Amino acid sequence: MRCEECSDKLDRYVDRELNDTEALQVQLHIEGCPDCMDHYEFQDHLKRLVKHSCDCDTAPKAFREKLRQILS
Amino acid sequence: MAEPAAQTAFAEEALTHLDTLYRGALRLTHDSDQAQDLVQEAYLRALRYQHSYQAGTNMRAWLFAIMRNLFWDRFKGSRKDDVSLDDLGEFVLYDKLKDEGARPEADVLDKIAASEVVAAVDKLPPLHREVVLLVDVEGFSYKDAADTLGVPIGTVMSRLHRARQQLQKSLYDYAVESGIVRLTA
Repeated sequence: MRCEECSDKLDRYVDRELNDTEALQVQLHIEGCPDCMDHYEFQDHLKRLVKHSCDCDTAPKAFREKLRQILS
Repeated sequence: MAEPAAQTAFAEEALTHLDTLYRGALRLTHDSDQAQDLVQEAYLRALRYQHSYQAGTNMRAWLFAIMRNLFWDRFKGSRKDDVSLDDLGEFVLYDKLKDEGARPEADVLDKIAASEVVAAVDKLPPLHREVVLLVDVEGFSYKDAADTLGVPIGTVMSRLHRARQQLQKSLYDYAVESGIVRLTA
């Protein structure tokens, strides 16, 4: 696999959306290519940054209780 | 109408997904009161149509679909005439930071505040924002996201790609404006 092809597949690799064969190809490439490993770690870090920045909002307790009463 | 015990069990299971729905509604409406109204309406609708939910399938995706459909009906009209994203070409934050000599690139991400990331997500047009919410924040697979949004997987992938480009551009602009990244002359 060339770096260009690896780069094209990196988002789907990070999203765990490649099939087993493709995922293995990307894994083998990045393990032997420091630049692509660096890129992979960056994209993975970015995805986690978006998740952790946005998933700290939780439903207010009073709202949860209100819903529980409405739905029961 | 379901038996009371079955209804209670359904409601209990549905409520385990409340945070996902509330977060999604909050990011779509940008307003806590509107988000709560939207989520409450979604739960009432889910309860009314619980017979259409197939046990053992993805209840979180089913509930999210109800909530986002209500959002589009209530706040945006039935047509999803969303604002399109500007064509940024291929904007890859990693490459951009590398070009600017900002190494190691990951250090830049560590310096970006969560509030700035949320602001960048909020700036995305809703059709693109909801894909990021599903895939990046809630961890949906492309297929579950496609089922939730009622679009083909290819549409999820293309919206996600464009949304991420825009998001990376916003974070890059913020990093430059705030001095996290210093442009080389």
